[in-house]
Amino acid sequence: MEIFRVSRDVYGREVLEGMSWDLLGVFFAAGVAFVCLHALYRWLLAPKR
Amino acid sequence: MSSTTTAGAAERVPPRVERHALIDRIFHWVTAATVLTLLATAFLPILGIQFGWVTPHWIAGFVLIAAILFHVIRAPLMQSLRSMWIGAADVRDLLSIARWNLRLTGTPPRKPGKYSLAQKLIHHLFAVVLLTAAVTGGLMMVRMDTPWWQRNPYWLTNSTWGIVYVLHGLAALILVTMIIAHIYFALRPEKLLFMRSMIRGWITREEYERHHDPDRWRLGE
Repeated sequence: MEIFRVSRDVYGREVLEGMSWDLLGVFFAAGVAFVCLHALYRWLLAPKR
Repeated sequence: MSSTTTAGAAERVPPRVERHALIDRIFHWVTAATVLTLLATAFLPILGIQFGWVTPHWIAGFVLIAAILFHVIRAPLMQSLRSMWIGAADVRDLLSIARWNLRLTGTPPRKPGKYSLAQKLIHHLFAVVLLTAAVTGGLMMVRMDTPWWQRNPYWLTNSTWGIVYVLHGLAALILVTMIIAHIYFALRPEKLLFMRSMIRGWITREEYERHHDPDRWRLGE
């Protein structure tokens, strides 16, 4: 999995194009994971007021 | 606080406490709509759903920039910056929240002011990410033909454009995660009062007294 998209200009130099869109799934999964972990923590472990 | 002071203070709390004025609710939902439009026009083509995304993307971007400018001007001049400021009291709150959740103390954390530390932090993170997206998106508009100017893709060097595109893309990716978390917290049962207040503008007197410290959120701020 790449982090950046890279290409070469007319002179052969490496040029940054942007973020790799492979990361879209990673960031989406991070959001879902956070939600699941927080919900489980609140349900099972968090102290009750 | 004496019982007389407490009783007097309680009488001054109306049955419905205004939390968000209409103009601020409109700002919030316009921002939400534009951000969702920007993410949809950005990522749906990447996911294979092809359509003419560029025009709706930059138009939504302009609307977002206008909304941000409205908020940046209104908040310091007509609202209370103090309510969003993170200070020593918030750091003490963070430590007491940590001790409470780790069961190192039986004393629950004290009630926050108008915004909890978590709400302040998410606001500031949204501010950084959205400003990054808006500024880099604004720079990218120079590469577009619009009714107001002709494009100039040579305004910045290729390497600089690369950094602009990386920051814009990174902001967009972070927004995906943040929006999932933001919607989750908005729909949590104990947080629905905040969701209702962002639609109807108010919380009840009981919710105000249960969730907030009246010395830290003085009504009228």
